[in-house]
Amino acid sequence: MANPIRVLVAKPGLDGHDRGALVVAQGLRDEGMEVIYTGLRQTPDQIAAVAVQEDVACVGLSSLSGAHMDLFPEVVQALRARGAGDILVIGGGVIPEQDIPLLKQSGIAEIFTPGSSIHGMAEYIRQHVAKASVLPPLTGRIDHIGIAVDSIAKSIAFYTEHLGLPLVHEETIPDDHVKVAFLQAGETFLELLEPLSEASAVATFLKKRGPGMHHIAYEVDSVEEALLRAQNAGYRLLDEKPRRGGHGKLIGFVHPAASNGVLTEYCQRIKEHAQ
Amino acid sequence: MTMRDDYERWLDSTEAQVAKRPERQTEFRTTSEIPVERLYLPEHGVADDEYATKLGLPGEFPYTRGIQPTMYRTRFWTMRQYAGFGSAEETNARFRYLLEQGQTGLSTAFDLPTQIGYDADHPFSKGEVGKVGVSISSRLDMELLLRDIPLADVSTSMTINAPASVLLAMYLVVAESTGVPWSKLSGTIQNDILKEYVARGTYIYPPKPSMRLITDIFSYCASEVPNWNTISISGYHIREAGSTAVQEIAFTLSNAIAYVQAALDKGLKIDDFAPRLSFFFNAHNDFFEEIAKFRAARRMWAHIMKERFGAKNPKSLQLRFHTQTGGSTLTAQQPDNNVVRVTVQALAAVLGGTQSLHTNSRDEALALPTESSARIALRTQQILAYENHVGDTVDPLGGSYFLESLTSDLEARATQYIEHIDALGGAVAAIEQGYMQKEIHHAAYRTQLEIENGTQTVVGVNKFTSEEEEAPEILRVNPELGRIQTERLAKLRGERAVEPWRQSLDELHRAATATDNLMPFIVQAVRNYATVGEICDTLRDVFGEYRPPLY
Repeated sequence: MANPIRVLVAKPGLDGHDRGALVVAQGLRDEGMEVIYTGLRQTPDQIAAVAVQEDVACVGLSSLSGAHMDLFPEVVQALRARGAGDILVIGGGVIPEQDIPLLKQSGIAEIFTPGSSIHGMAEYIRQHVAKASVLPPLTGRIDHIGIAVDSIAKSIAFYTEHLGLPLVHEETIPDDHVKVAFLQAGETFLELLEPLSEASAVATFLKKRGPGMHHIAYEVDSVEEALLRAQNAGYRLLDEKPRRGGHGKLIGFVHPAASNGVLTEYCQRIKEHAQ
Repeated sequence: MTMRDDYERWLDSTEAQVAKRPERQTEFRTTSEIPVERLYLPEHGVADDEYATKLGLPGEFPYTRGIQPTMYRTRFWTMRQYAGFGSAEETNARFRYLLEQGQTGLSTAFDLPTQIGYDADHPFSKGEVGKVGVSISSRLDMELLLRDIPLADVSTSMTINAPASVLLAMYLVVAESTGVPWSKLSGTIQNDILKEYVARGTYIYPPKPSMRLITDIFSYCASEVPNWNTISISGYHIREAGSTAVQEIAFTLSNAIAYVQAALDKGLKIDDFAPRLSFFFNAHNDFFEEIAKFRAARRMWAHIMKERFGAKNPKSLQLRFHTQTGGSTLTAQQPDNNVVRVTVQALAAVLGGTQSLHTNSRDEALALPTESSARIALRTQQILAYENHVGDTVDPLGGSYFLESLTSDLEARATQYIEHIDALGGAVAAIEQGYMQKEIHHAAYRTQLEIENGTQTVVGVNKFTSEEEEAPEILRVNPELGRIQTERLAKLRGERAVEPWRQSLDELHRAATATDNLMPFIVQAVRNYATVGEICDTLRDVFGEYRPPLY
């Protein structure tokens, strides 16, 4: 027989109504699951910490105070921040119908409002924790690494002559005030970026940090979806919408604060350019 | 032929009929598992020679039939709708609206940060500011909440427990600053911490210092605010947490016994504070059981006060109570059906002799009530009072064979529970051992299973469901309120005089470590613009915080 599914039932925020949480906890136990109850007044971070420590497959959140729009998404973010984004998060309580789509966009898989049956909840959990992750992986490949340089002409010899990497593409991107050169290194590219004016973000970067690694670009199927998922997870975006980048791609940037000081780019090949 | 013979004959012929055409169920029970017979006879009611001891006359011991001789013939119950959301200004507007609509008393809901003693700018307050009630952090908020409300004429109930002393102090300071003498003030603070540990969850300090704060309030108000109800001992939340009607009476009265004992242990005289004790019950779905519950609770309290505590003042023996219809009976599905549920529950409260009543709004399983839902809820009470003639005679169901039998059964079962809690060492010990919590949880779980397996019907949920439902309009609290309140607090902290503020908090701290009555110190701190969070933190520093056991 398979190991029982482990579930954390949690009360985020200050709400003290735990009749529902306690009844669900006992009901899921009677359905054969292992259930841990956090008790009242837990912060999203505390809940995520317990979820990871107890290695649960599902977190069930309960709130009747109207704070669900603030607190439920924070629990999802705190789980993702701990690398536990694969834990199924569900919620219940006094939650208006109109809030449910927004909660789902924020990564809460399902909402069970008053009148829901525990057996129905248990069935839902069984069906959905089986899939290791609620969301498929965003990327499997680094498309390129961007390196800021004062002058492509003066820097390129190291890559072409010393390392022997082929120069595959050169381009000027007027919108960003940069000139770029792509060098192929196996399945990945290096992108040298040279500012064309003071208005360029690369110029600011050079002034502040000097030449060096500027960004990492991950290949994704859809930049639009990648940006939405980053936003839902609480990461700050530099681009709200995908835009045209170099080398015939759609791109979008996430603020370096979201990823340990390294600027993150998502890029997606555009079909029409793949000629 | 005697009535007994007649009954036997009737029973025989009825059984023969039932054998052919069975009744709907093989047995009928109330929600407290009390068996309900097919028929009740005079022998099940109250015999003539028991009448005086079991029922008495209205306004007389043991008050089973009501605490006043004329009840609603003189004045209807107080229609007191619980309200509060968002900012003090918004709640003030809702209060004035309700008063204009004919409501006769105010009832204040506070948000969770206020109820747990955090200011609106505390990190734990995130997402909760103004959500389940009004956000009050300082006397400035209280001034806005009460603006243009005639404090000498309106009685104000405040649902506040762990920081009850602070919010009462704010009310007093606002009255003082508007020139209303404290002797003219009337109202209620819930101030019932024991049920917070059991069922409601807005505790701050451990039981012992919490009981001290409560008895400090009893003693302070007895001399300073004589018309203030210093506690509203609440079965409401115990019932909402899933208890049966019997548990609701038993646990509430056990908690009440603990408060009385604590006050006596502190040296207070029973008849000095007992007249200001009030109660708060739920009006749930099981119509006759609920009416019987109110009557049983009155009779039991009169006996407890007289025999256990030796109270002499008739007012000490009278169980005065507020009622709210059962929030957990409301369904999110087909919310208009809730109007009907509320009507029947409200009728039970009135037939049970309540002093005041809150009727829930139809949309409360979804969100805070909209203004139109709140109006229907108030109108429900007004229709009962003014159209249905239900208040034209006192205790109209008194003497019903069934009702009197049920009243005695509830009393017997609740008394057994109280005896068991006494044996555990009283309410505080029983709560610390998790006894009440477990009993309530078992009852709640049984209810859930019965709803899931269809033994209990919930119309619109497990029977008579509709596929197509339109989402009703709901009330939204301004999400910016947390930020606005934070700015308001920053301004207050920047502008108040630091020296008196600091000094009054220091004095409160010193008093808390000693044995002084804390109320005068809290009032002084409020006068000097100390906030709810600052006062509660000062006491947290001395008393510590309650950490519930997980069981």
